Amino acid sequence: MADSLVPVLEAQEKMDTDKMWVIWGPQHPFSHGLWTLKLQIDGEFCTDADPIVGYLHRGWEKETENRDYARIIPMTDRLCYCASMTYSHLYCMTVEKALGIDIPEKAKYIRIVADEVCRIQSHLMWLAAVGTDMGNLTVFLWAMREREYFLDLNVKLCGQRMTTNYPRIGGVRNDTTPLFDRDIIRAVDRFEKAMWDIIYLIDDSSVFVSRMRKISYLTREQCANMGLTGPAMRGCGVDFDIRRDDPYDNYDKIDFEVPVLNKDTKVGDTYDRYMIRIEEMFQSCDIIRQAVKKIEALGKNAPYRIKTPTKVPAGTTFGRLEDPRGESIMYLASDGTDHPYRLKVRSPIFTNVSCSKVMCQGVRIADVPAVLAQIDMCLGETDR
Amino acid sequence: MAMKYLDKYPKNLAKSLWIMKPVWTAFKLFCKTVVHRPVTVLYPYEKEWIPENYRGRPGLRFDKCVGCGMCVRMCVTQAIKLIEVDDDNGNKVMRPQINIGRCAFCGYCAEYCPVDAMTVTPEYELAEYTRYDLLYGPRRLHYENTTPGMEVKLEVTLPSDIANGNPERRVHIFDVDKPELTDSKCIGCKKCSKVCPVNAVTMVEKGTNDKGKPIIRPEFDNAKCISCKNCVDACPKDALQIKEVL
Repeated sequence: MADSLVPVLEAQEKMDTDKMWVIWGPQHPFSHGLWTLKLQIDGEFCTDADPIVGYLHRGWEKETENRDYARIIPMTDRLCYCASMTYSHLYCMTVEKALGIDIPEKAKYIRIVADEVCRIQSHLMWLAAVGTDMGNLTVFLWAMREREYFLDLNVKLCGQRMTTNYPRIGGVRNDTTPLFDRDIIRAVDRFEKAMWDIIYLIDDSSVFVSRMRKISYLTREQCANMGLTGPAMRGCGVDFDIRRDDPYDNYDKIDFEVPVLNKDTKVGDTYDRYMIRIEEMFQSCDIIRQAVKKIEALGKNAPYRIKTPTKVPAGTTFGRLEDPRGESIMYLASDGTDHPYRLKVRSPIFTNVSCSKVMCQGVRIADVPAVLAQIDMCLGETDR
Repeated sequence: MAMKYLDKYPKNLAKSLWIMKPVWTAFKLFCKTVVHRPVTVLYPYEKEWIPENYRGRPGLRFDKCVGCGMCVRMCVTQAIKLIEVDDDNGNKVMRPQINIGRCAFCGYCAEYCPVDAMTVTPEYELAEYTRYDLLYGPRRLHYENTTPGMEVKLEVTLPSDIANGNPERRVHIFDVDKPELTDSKCIGCKKCSKVCPVNAVTMVEKGTNDKGKPIIRPEFDNAKCISCKNCVDACPKDALQIKEVL
């Protein structure tokens, strides 16, 4: 553990207070959704934490067993409203793997563009939430304003803002609309300039920086032991991204950097996790620019969706992709009929939130919202 | 490819110590807000522009609909059901009725409609005073200014076309899936011809059996068939199957 924690622990010993449990949630402004955090506090310092999830369980996995494959796609959008595109992409990718088909090139690049737009708007939603958690409403309003441009891009692409229902088994729903290429490049260029305003607002503010720096250290070993994935893991020096290391849907043909911090020390604090997400948004802009060029090069009449059989051969399939929040996995067991026998979802947050036990240790109770904002909670996919 | 934010990061924090930096940022923002208009709109009076492919409530073109029930089959939330109404000539026909309160706005009904009768409309202000008002009958589903962009076209390419080097995008590709009869299972009950919405199934006599009774078998007019699979569902002996063309 880092050196800065030593005075904290010494102070705790001197205080000689009783430990007590404080229960936050399920209805609490810090918890973005319905979940409870039990905090054991010793004076002002947290010594233990226990997350409780499951208030939003709605039997998603069971419900998919009674539907045919095409009609599950709108349900995958409702897993998480910020990551609707990546979840329906993941589901379609898993079924395509089970069918053993290869989708057209154009569909792959359109999916990349849609995924990265989804990633940017999800991270902006996270940034807005961080703003409110830290008591800065300007960050909230500015991040939501920028997010609106990307939701408008979703409308132009597939007709709806959040529950997009866009990827299909064998491709995507519709081709890019005529002026979409122009609009998306404009939006991305505009976003890269506007993002710096928000960054200066946070980095110049000592309120933000001092509350996020040098608290809640996570080591590389702890990440591995607890299954932490996504930007939080990359802030702790783990150089792993499924987009680069296990590429799906032509991500290997696109040149981008994976932001990783603390490769030498292998210990990351809250501010590192914040920085990784900010850098990921810039990298997503680069990916979008490259993918849009590839779509233009393929021409207007290229196929974007192929016909697939309605019945999936019996067997088990496993698909995974890089969600905005981490690594999401779907495991499909099919029995040769037109509906799945079992569809298991591995949500990144369900695993990441279990790290709150470690992340909250030695943190002042006032800093707990700042620490747990970096998990980017979304209860829809956690409880399913 | 370089990092845009992480490369500048140490410089940022050093800058933040300089007190004039926030003042300068605030001054820039002040100038911007004086020149620029607000990003918000006065909602009930002003409305945002929405593109042609916007997915609002579903719409129906009554004259095009054949009442095949494909929308009912594809509906994710079971919001659609077929009800009996009078058409323009006074005949009783089956047409979809949609409960907008249950609708998930996924657009599947428009996408899979074999005759392009179902559309997506840009209507999104759908609040009503009672739940009963949320039921949209076939006549109420009609939308005045339907444009071609609102018919969601199912442009699909056959994998065999790609293998042949002729990747052509076809509209209504599921029409190539035609029902196939297993002759030994058929009992000639005529249910398939009764449920067919486009009268593509005709019952034909094909000789007599051992007891001297006529053998009746359905015959399919593939030009008329819209592949709605109603006959497959209605068959009591599983004699009909959809043959998928890939």
